[in-house]
Amino acid sequence: MNAFANLPFATSRPLTLGVELELQLVSPRDYDLTRAATDLLASLHHDGRCGDVKLEITESMIEVNTQPRQDVSAIAADLEGLRGLLVEHCRRNNVAICGGGTHAFHRWPERRICPGERFAFLNERYGYLSKQFTVFGQHIHIGVTSGDEAIWLTHALNMYVPHFVVLSASSPFVDGTDTAFDSARLNAVSAFPLSGQAPDVGDWAAFLDHMAVLQACGVAESIKDLYWDVRPKPEYGTVEVRVCDTPLTVDRAAELAAFAQSLARWLLRERPPIDPAMQSLVARYNKFQACRFGFDAELADPLARCKRPIAETLTGLLDSLMQDARDLGCDRQLESLRRLVESRQGDATVLRGIARSAGSLNELTRAATEFFARPSRYHRHD
Amino acid sequence: MTSGLRSIWEALQDRLFFLPPMPEQADPLVLMALLLVAGLLVGEGLHRALGLSRIVGYVLAGALAGPGALNWLDRETLALARPVADAALGLLLLETGRNLDLGWLRANPALLRTAAAESGLAFAGVFVFALVVVGLSPAWSAATAAITMTSAPAVVLLTAEECRAQGQVTQRTLLLTAISCALAFVVFALVLGLIHAEEAGDGLNALIHPLWVLGGGALIGVLCARLALALAARQEAGGGGQVFVLVAAALLAIGLARMAAVPVFLSLFLMGVAVGQFDQQRVLAYTSLPQGHWILAIVLFVVTGAMLPLEDATGLMLLQALGLIVVRGLAKFAGVMATGKNDLPAGRRRLLGLGVQPLSATAVFMAAELAAFYPEVSAQALLLPLLAAAVMEFIGPQLCRRAFVLAGEAALPNREPPP
Repeated sequence: MNAFANLPFATSRPLTLGVELELQLVSPRDYDLTRAATDLLASLHHDGRCGDVKLEITESMIEVNTQPRQDVSAIAADLEGLRGLLVEHCRRNNVAICGGGTHAFHRWPERRICPGERFAFLNERYGYLSKQFTVFGQHIHIGVTSGDEAIWLTHALNMYVPHFVVLSASSPFVDGTDTAFDSARLNAVSAFPLSGQAPDVGDWAAFLDHMAVLQACGVAESIKDLYWDVRPKPEYGTVEVRVCDTPLTVDRAAELAAFAQSLARWLLRERPPIDPAMQSLVARYNKFQACRFGFDAELADPLARCKRPIAETLTGLLDSLMQDARDLGCDRQLESLRRLVESRQGDATVLRGIARSAGSLNELTRAATEFFARPSRYHRHD
Repeated sequence: MTSGLRSIWEALQDRLFFLPPMPEQADPLVLMALLLVAGLLVGEGLHRALGLSRIVGYVLAGALAGPGALNWLDRETLALARPVADAALGLLLLETGRNLDLGWLRANPALLRTAAAESGLAFAGVFVFALVVVGLSPAWSAATAAITMTSAPAVVLLTAEECRAQGQVTQRTLLLTAISCALAFVVFALVLGLIHAEEAGDGLNALIHPLWVLGGGALIGVLCARLALALAARQEAGGGGQVFVLVAAALLAIGLARMAAVPVFLSLFLMGVAVGQFDQQRVLAYTSLPQGHWILAIVLFVVTGAMLPLEDATGLMLLQALGLIVVRGLAKFAGVMATGKNDLPAGRRRLLGLGVQPLSATAVFMAAELAAFYPEVSAQALLLPLLAAAVMEFIGPQLCRRAFVLAGEAALPNREPPP
């Protein structure tokens, strides 16, 4: 009897949202990553009304999770509450905190694994990859009503992985070097054997069969062993988008959540035809294009047998989503993303600009902590 | 054997006119080199065999080679090594001054309360102990308390580096040490006046000397900090030029302090604080001392070990020194535990109370400053803090290291075995 045979899919209200952000903990002395997570968590007192604060794999990371919310305004409020809580708590402990998908110049061998059975297991299984996994992402959960709907939405959202990557890209520097990528973070994720795309299965039952095979072969014990770009999360009743870099501000994180919610609503409403098998032919290439070239990426379209500039695709897509965004009450956030696509001044470009003008990656990270310390404009006005 | 060698040398001299006369004693540089190697070997040996802090080994090498034991390092050679030791202590205090993060204190005033409590209680405890139990005069009791109220910045800094420690216990130990240094230096300057008044009945010197020490230290520190920042701003950001400028300005400050008879440790500490405060453009914010400062640290602790008055120690004196250590230790521990309850969990505060215990080179050098003025009186009066420092030289680094390790903040090589 395998553990997946009757794995239930928790029902949640459709299109509910939840956001997870992995954040960098740096020393205000030199803005290098520092060992701080367990200390911060041990002395943090909060009521949990905005969500939770958790350890991540290494001591230089901390994760915040919002509460499940129906609308983006509530998500923005949660993110702002968690941001304010952590910025203040970090300040009292002489730690600085920031977004960004990678730290620009830390040395991964110096990272320390956090205490905990799960982290010890990952360190044991993946060796040096576990320390190199000190990269920082945003995960967005979208509520769905059933396992079958989750599988369909997972496949549908897979087509938009490059769009999420481009809008969130904030990791141009690794090991003190400009990688020429806008999002170098995903290269660290790609090293894991169970990363990539969900398998081409038609419904929840077929998905459970697939998981049973993986378990029987000793490949994966549970869904959390799978680092797919988009994956169903049965215990929450959600589909989880996992490809975004953690942006420099919580406002951008809320905008990405608005994009995810509007897109999911549009997809579930329109039910456009999807072809996971054909998409899988170009999925890795398209993701590479988005990571490497950002707004200048050109995506392969296997159905139309052509390539399309992502900036054009994104503009059209955001226009298509605007009515859904208005109905969901997050059109302001989507408008902001439209301006981002027009200006092409994403976080990666901003970071490169700072590095050029400041001439120091320490200063770059310091600027990132200042970005993160700014209060949210969405929460103040809403 | 020496006479045999001498006759061979002299025979050779008859033939080889360029040969100098047979050296009567080893060149001080040769001695220092041997001492460096001996310190390094003992330090590494104890570290590898027993897991002790390397600093313990350096001090042990100095104590064994010094006038109190084998006398390979006599007082003249010690005097020759003093500028190098001054430079080492000065550079480490520069770093300690840079660790005095006023921004952190503004964000978390509880830290100031903790620092005031642990330093204040240590001063009060030691003063009462020296006055009542040991029977020193009020001025020398105050001097003993001023010398021992601070933690040991060099030990704490090097231990944190040695363990590659990171975390709240480490950071707060460094900060409390920096604050206790600042407080101790001010109290020390005031005590200089008290000593002058008590020993010489000289009101003018009692008034002016503390001002000279504090004002001179501040002036040298600020001027050299400004100079370092101005020159560093003209160097390539993050390049070796900026490190060079910082070290050169520090050496200039050390030299000026020695010329003006202002304590080097005070001037360099104030220079460190000034560099941190005036560096609005963050020109030197990311510049660290070059790794070579470990060589200077070995010299510092070997010399410190040799300066310990082990030959003067009697059983009673040692007992009194142990009493001082207990009183000081409990006072510091109580100060840390009594404050910051909402700021740091109790377990972490206990380790912080352990981390601030070291007492070392700064105390020895403070005592040396005093001894220079009243050598006859001070030889006896300063024996208590010096013996306490001697004992703590061997215990302090271990306590500090233990605190970082127990806090889980030290990067020990065997903590994470390879999978």
